[in-house]
Amino acid sequence: MNIETERKKLVTLVGPPNSGKTTLFNALSGKKHKTVNYPGATIEYSISSFLDQFSLDARLMDSPGIISLIPVSPDEKVTIDNLYNHPDFGKPDVVVVTVDSSQFSRHLLLARQIIDSGFKTIVVLTMNDLLKEKNFEIDGRHLSVMLGCDVIKCDPRSGDGIDSLIGLIKTNLEINKEQIHRKNRHSEDDILCIYREIEELEKKVLRDLNENHHEDPHIAKANKELVIAGRGSGIKMPDSLTLKIDSVLLHKFWGIFIFMVIMSLMFTSIFWVASPVMDLVDTAIHSFESFVNNGLGDNWYSDLIAKGIIGGLGVVLVFLPQIVILFFVLGLLEDSGYLARGAMIIDKPLSMLGLNGRSFVPMLSGFACAIPAIMAARTIQNKRERYLTIFIIPLMSCSARLPVYGLLLAFLFPGKYFLSGIILSLIYITGVLISLIVAGIINRYKKTLLNFEDNSSFIMELPVYRVPKISNVFKNTYSNAVQYIQKAGPTIIIFSLILWLLTNFPGKPTVDTSNLPKDDPSVSRLIESERINNSYAAEIGKIMEPVMRPLGLDWRVGVSLIATFAAREVFVSSLALIFKVTESDDNMSQSLINEMKNAKIKDTGQNLFTTATAAGLIVFFMLALQCISTIAITKKETGGWRIPVLQIIIYTGAAYIMTFITVNGLRFLGIN
Amino acid sequence: MMTVADLHSGQTAIIKNIDFSHPSSCRVVEYGFTPGQELQVINKSIFNDPLSVSLRGALIAIRKQDARCIEVFLPNEH
Ligand SMILES: Nc1nc2c(ncn2[C@@H]2O[C@H](COP(=O)(O)OP(=O)(O)OP(=O)(O)O)[C@@H](O)[C@H]2O)c(=O)[nH]1
Ligand SMILES: [Mg+2]
Repeated sequence: MNIETERKKLVTLVGPPNSGKTTLFNALSGKKHKTVNYPGATIEYSISSFLDQFSLDARLMDSPGIISLIPVSPDEKVTIDNLYNHPDFGKPDVVVVTVDSSQFSRHLLLARQIIDSGFKTIVVLTMNDLLKEKNFEIDGRHLSVMLGCDVIKCDPRSGDGIDSLIGLIKTNLEINKEQIHRKNRHSEDDILCIYREIEELEKKVLRDLNENHHEDPHIAKANKELVIAGRGSGIKMPDSLTLKIDSVLLHKFWGIFIFMVIMSLMFTSIFWVASPVMDLVDTAIHSFESFVNNGLGDNWYSDLIAKGIIGGLGVVLVFLPQIVILFFVLGLLEDSGYLARGAMIIDKPLSMLGLNGRSFVPMLSGFACAIPAIMAARTIQNKRERYLTIFIIPLMSCSARLPVYGLLLAFLFPGKYFLSGIILSLIYITGVLISLIVAGIINRYKKTLLNFEDNSSFIMELPVYRVPKISNVFKNTYSNAVQYIQKAGPTIIIFSLILWLLTNFPGKPTVDTSNLPKDDPSVSRLIESERINNSYAAEIGKIMEPVMRPLGLDWRVGVSLIATFAAREVFVSSLALIFKVTESDDNMSQSLINEMKNAKIKDTGQNLFTTATAAGLIVFFMLALQCISTIAITKKETGGWRIPVLQIIIYTGAAYIMTFITVNGLRFLGIN
Repeated sequence: MMTVADLHSGQTAIIKNIDFSHPSSCRVVEYGFTPGQELQVINKSIFNDPLSVSLRGALIAIRKQDARCIEVFLPNEH
C-alpha cells in the first residue's frame, strides 16, 4: 500500500509573530492553546484535527511565528526546514498564511515568499478591526487577483469568516493545481525587491474609508497621496492610543520605574489577594478529610486515605489560590501587550550581563514553571544568550515553590499576611538578583564556559495595547491551574503512598504504654513518634543525618527534601505525612504548623523548626536545583549534559552552603 | 553619515540606505526597514537604548547597535 495516499492531508498555519495563528488554530480545531499579545508566544509545532462541524478530514498544524523564510540562526533554520517538510507530520498540502492587515506591508513579505515557494496558499487577513480603526480597508478580491491565491478576511476571535475559510481549504485540498515554483528569492536584495512589489500592490488594494465617494476623483486621488506621503497621518501611523500609553510606559525614566512597580505588585499580590481564599480552601479540604476519616472508620486504610493521600494533597492544594493569582496576573500582562515593552525596557541592563531583552519573557514565565520557560528561550536567536538564559531560569522561584514558601512563611510570621507578602516578594526579587549575578559572572568567563560565535541583536515588534480580555485570561488561568494539579497531583499521591508505607512499617511497638493512662494525647503522640523513628523511612533517612545536622535539621526533613526531586510541592505533603496533621484544629496548614512547632530533634531535644532553620530552608529552596523535569528539558534544549550537570553542582552546592551560613549565622546572632 | 541611532526622540527621517556589511542588516530589512521608507523615533528606553521606531504603521523596538545599519536623511535636507 502506498503510504502517501494513506496519509492524511496536512494544512499548516504560517505567519509572522503575533498575527493570530494560534487564535485561528483554536477556532478551527476547538483546542485551547495559549494566545498571547506578544510576538513569539508559540514555540513549537503542534497538530490537531479540525472540529467535527467542519467535516474536513485533514490535520491542522500551528507553527511558531517567523518573519521571513530566510533563517538567521541554526534554530530558525530548523523551524523553517520543518515547515517545508516536518519530520513527523510531513509536507503541507495547503499553507494558510495569516497576515495582520494593520501591518499589511510588513506581513505580506512572508506571504509572498510562501507563495513563491510553490505552496498552495490561502492568505487570511486578520485584525481587520484594527485597520478599520485607522479608517482603512483592504480590497480582498483585488489582492487575491494580484497575489494569484485565495484571500479571505477572518476574525479568529469571533469566528467571523471561518466558514468561508473552511470552504477555501476544502477546494484547495481537492484541486490539483500545478504551482509555479519561482526561484527562491533569499538575498537582501531580493527582499528589497519583494518590498517594492508589495508597496506597489498596497497602493492598489488599500482603500481609505474617509474618502468621499462623490468627490471629484482627481481631488480624491490627490488627497490619498497626501495621506500616504504625509507625515504622521493615516496608515503610516501606529495606533494612536498605543502611542499615548507608550509615552508613559516607555518614558525614559518613568518607564523603568513603572516596570519595577508592576513586577513587585505582581509578587506581593500573590500573598495579599490569596490569603482569604486560602483559608476557605483550607477549611473545605480539612472538613473533607475528617468526613472521609469518619466515614471509613478507624482502620489502617482510613489512615492511609485520609492522612496519607487527602492530607498530603490537601496541604498542597491549600496553596493553589496563590498559584492561580500568579497565573492570572501573568495572563493580564500577556494579554495587554506590555510584555514586549518589558523586554525593551530591560534589554540594555540585561545585555550588560550577557542576556537579551528577549530573555525577559522566559524569565518571567519561570515564575510559573521552569519547563515552558526554558522552551520559551528558543525565541532568543543568539546561542550564548539563550544558553545563559536557560542556565539562570531555575533561579526564578517557580510556582511549585509557592506552597513551600507559603508554609514556611506562615510558620515564621503567623497571621501576618502583609509582612509575608513583602517577604515573599523579597524572596522573588532576591532570586532574580542572584540569577543576574550568576549571569554576570558566567558572562565574564564566557570564553571558557559558553563559547559561541556572536551577533547579539534585539529587534522586536511592539504589539498594540489591548484591554485584556478577562474571559480569555480566566480561561488561560483555569487551564494552567488544571495543568498544575495534573502535574503535581499524581506525584504527590504516589509519594504520599510511598512515604506512608515507609513511615508506617515495620511498625514495631517499642514503648511500653501499659502503665500510662490510655487516652492521654501525649501517649499517642509518643507511640506515633516512636513508630516513625523505627520505620524504614528512618532507616533510609538516618544515612542523611550527617548531611542534615550541620543545617540544624534532621532526617525527617532530609527525607522530605529527597522527595522534592519529583516535584517541589511534595516537600509540604511529605512534612504533613511525617508530622501527622491532627484533626484537633479546624485548619490543615495551622495543624501542620503546630506539629512543626512541637517537633524536636530526637537526641538533642532541640526544636527542629526554628526561625533559623525555617529561614535556612527558604534559602535552600531558592537556590537548589531539585526538579528532574527541569534537568531533562535543559538537557534536551541545550543538546547535552554539560549545562544541566553544571547547574546541579553549582546550584545545589550553593544551596547547601548558603543554608549552612544562614542557619548558623542566625544562631550566632542569637536568633534561634 | 547619519543613522537611526543618531536620531532624537520624535525626529522623523527617511531611510537612505542599508549597510549590508552589518551582521543585523538582513533582519532589519525583513522587519521592513527599506530605502525610501519614512520612520520616526518614538521613545528611547533608559540609557537611550533600545529605541522604539514607528515604521509602516507598526512600532518596532530596536537596539542602537542594530539601528546603526540603517542610514537615513532628514526630510527637509533633501
Ligand atoms: N483585534 C484583533 N486581535 C486579534 C485578532 N486575531 C487575533 N488577535 C489577538 O492577537 C494576539 C495574538 O494572537 P496569537 O494567535 O497568539 O498570535 P500567533 O500568530 O499565534 O503569535 P505567535 O505564536 O507569537 O507567533 C492575541 O492577543 C489575539 O487575541 C483579530 O482579528 N483582531
Ligand atoms: Mg501562536
